Amino acid sequence: MTESMRPSRRALLSSAVLATVGPAQAQAPARAPVRGGTMVMIVNPEPSTLATYAVSAGNIPPVTTQIYEGLLTYDWEIRPQPMLAKSWTVSEDGKTITFQLQEGVTFHNGQPFTSADVQYSFMEIAKKVNPNGPVILAELQSVDTPDPMTAVFNLANPAPYLMVSLSANNIPIVCKSVFEGTQPLQNPSANRPVGTGPFKFGEWNRGQFIRLDRNERYWKPGLPLLNRIIARFIPDAATRSAALETGEAHYAAYSAVNAADIRRMQANPILGSTTQGYGTTAATSVLEFNMRRPNLAKKEVRQAICYAIDRQFIVDNILHGFGKPATGPLSSVFTTQGFYTDQVRRFDVPDRLEIANRLMDEAGFPRGANGVRMSLFLEINSFGEQWLRQGEYLKQALGQIGINLTLRSEDTATWLRRCYTDYDFDINEPFYSAGADPVVGVHRHYVSSAIRRGTTFVNNKDYRSPDVDRLMDAATREIVPARRAELYHEAQRIMVEDSPGAWLCEVQYVTIFNKKLQNHTNRPLGTYSAFDRAWLER
Amino acid sequence: MRRWRYFGYRLLFALPVVFGILVLNFFLIRLAPGDAASVLAGESGAASPEYTELLRQKFGLDRPVIEQFFLYIANALRFDLGFSFRNDAPVSELILARLGPTLLLMLAAFSLAVAFGTLLGVLAAVARNSWRDAVISVATLICYATPVFWLGLMLIVVFSVNLAWLPTSGFEDIGQGYEGWERGVDIARHMVMPVAALGLFYLALYTRVMRASMLEQTGMDYVVTARAKGQSEGRIMLGHMLRNAFLPVLTMAGVQAGNLIGGSVVVETVFGWPGIGTLAFNALQSRDLNLLLGIFFISACLVVAINLIVEALTIALDPRIQA
Repeated sequence: MTESMRPSRRALLSSAVLATVGPAQAQAPARAPVRGGTMVMIVNPEPSTLATYAVSAGNIPPVTTQIYEGLLTYDWEIRPQPMLAKSWTVSEDGKTITFQLQEGVTFHNGQPFTSADVQYSFMEIAKKVNPNGPVILAELQSVDTPDPMTAVFNLANPAPYLMVSLSANNIPIVCKSVFEGTQPLQNPSANRPVGTGPFKFGEWNRGQFIRLDRNERYWKPGLPLLNRIIARFIPDAATRSAALETGEAHYAAYSAVNAADIRRMQANPILGSTTQGYGTTAATSVLEFNMRRPNLAKKEVRQAICYAIDRQFIVDNILHGFGKPATGPLSSVFTTQGFYTDQVRRFDVPDRLEIANRLMDEAGFPRGANGVRMSLFLEINSFGEQWLRQGEYLKQALGQIGINLTLRSEDTATWLRRCYTDYDFDINEPFYSAGADPVVGVHRHYVSSAIRRGTTFVNNKDYRSPDVDRLMDAATREIVPARRAELYHEAQRIMVEDSPGAWLCEVQYVTIFNKKLQNHTNRPLGTYSAFDRAWLER
Repeated sequence: MRRWRYFGYRLLFALPVVFGILVLNFFLIRLAPGDAASVLAGESGAASPEYTELLRQKFGLDRPVIEQFFLYIANALRFDLGFSFRNDAPVSELILARLGPTLLLMLAAFSLAVAFGTLLGVLAAVARNSWRDAVISVATLICYATPVFWLGLMLIVVFSVNLAWLPTSGFEDIGQGYEGWERGVDIARHMVMPVAALGLFYLALYTRVMRASMLEQTGMDYVVTARAKGQSEGRIMLGHMLRNAFLPVLTMAGVQAGNLIGGSVVVETVFGWPGIGTLAFNALQSRDLNLLLGIFFISACLVVAINLIVEALTIALDPRIQA
């Protein structure tokens, strides 16, 4: 597809709203919101803990972002919007950020919210025990609190990614007095969170549900509208679909139902669906090549594999149409900020199989007696059945260029150990979310400083490119957006040429909701933000 | 009295068995590659090595295995099951919360299966090779061969989605705030389908065992004698055959009672039932060793206890057993 044929992201977003929500919701603003009611949302799988400040598993924020709030939230263009910070100024050199805080905010335990809580949340909690802290807050040296309503962030170097990483799902603001004098990882508030958000923690009946109750003293006047939110846990996907169809549950995000069921549910008159609310997710399925293996150390072999895969086939048949082919290490979601480019080596050309076979010949792997050039293992992603389906397709696809692929399925702990500690793999099949900025979730897969044995989901490929290291390092500190975009464009061209991995598909998540539930998705963060304005029709 | 001395031996023998299980569990569980810290770090996206190390320290995984072992044994002897770091909660609390729903589901499914299985088995055996026998045999064969998860999903589609008679899943309706009697009815409504899905499998099993056992008794000398004495068929069956024929069912039920505490992962998953089966499965997946060892320990104790009870029953019933 050429650039001119592609509608802008913004146009796509607004057309998606109309197409999926339909006339019933288009009229919604005309009706006055109703107060009260209990919203039931499905969260899958059940979180193991609610310590969102120390564990960043993706199933925790749907619950905790109702309870905790961040300094900022974001509009549809991922521009910062006020939350606990009502305004902010960034100094000329990008090294000082001054936040003015909301007045009259109290934590659920009655303590007033002040700049001391901000300081503590960043310096003592996020920087020390948040798994993403060392990346997002690498440049943060101190937080000054000249008065209770002002927090000044002092950075060693400019950090352009910081301002897009300050929502509650990334760095929640915790109450200093709850934590002070305790070990943060052993704090009892792990499972009884205390925040400033529109809903308070009620009870957690493990294996069944978490109940959140309306915060009567919430600082935004008149909000929240709902009395209660119940997060229900149903392990089986088909049962989750049934619970939505019978109206027992009102909301299920992150494709909690099987892709094959989504079409059926879209035809159900009581249900609606939307693909909005995943604006900072940038989820991409990839292959990682272990470049320590002599076969895969050859660039021609890696490129040949990239050519052999029909990404549109995967989108149509394995993702059931919910996604689109990926072109490189950055998701097209980053078009909004200008970082994405598709002006790279393209593997979706008509004669891709001829090119792939020629590359394999050039690399010195002629076809053997039974047409096989080499045998490799594919490590199947343990997080769900669709990855096995994808592996089965890849076996077929790579067979066309003479690679005999053996699929290996192991449980999560074994799989992680093999691919990120023992490095005993050929091709790995993971799935990544880039987050709101490439620094947060992209760099670590490609820079040589992120080759760290024993750490999951980093550069396990042994990819070492001085050019990529230099470009990404510069992009980390560049505050002029256009120059930063240029650095990423260059890095994408080099990486696609080197092909340390194959970028398969950008996965599009779907939210299914009951049409009685109104105003549930009004931020790009979707289920990673509070349902303070959501309401239920009677 | 010698019979009961024999039982005393069995009781004494149970202690080293439980201890052996404790030791075996501890080391077997460590054969699985990967640890809880790496899984947790994996779920958090990319964590730094420092973060993973921090977790290992918190979980006590950085200490020597032998030290972990003695700590574990000492705690187990005091019935202290430890702390699940993954769940940030004590193991005993996690298991206790699941015990009620697990026992409720398993006992209901189990007792209904034994009762109706026995009845159907007798009905089939009495009218051997009749249409009634054929219907029961075919029906039990179908129940026995049907995968439980499929049956569960079909029940949901028919009774929840299409007919809207029963709730799809869960243990109770949370939003309604039912109390007392109403709450009991609500839980019972949630129980119907999981009990049916699980119970039908056992029902089929016991029906087949009971039928075979009844037929085996038909040719026995005591039945011929009773018939020669001129007793009615009904009395022969109820008064003589039934008690003997029931023994194999009882033995089988005794063995399977060990499953009670383990729950059923499949039924719990399909119906979102908060049972111990899924708790154990998730603990295994995430290498939550303390929790897993706790569940193993409780299950082992229960299995040993049930075996002892069955042994006591057998001794009481069958005078031939002695040391």
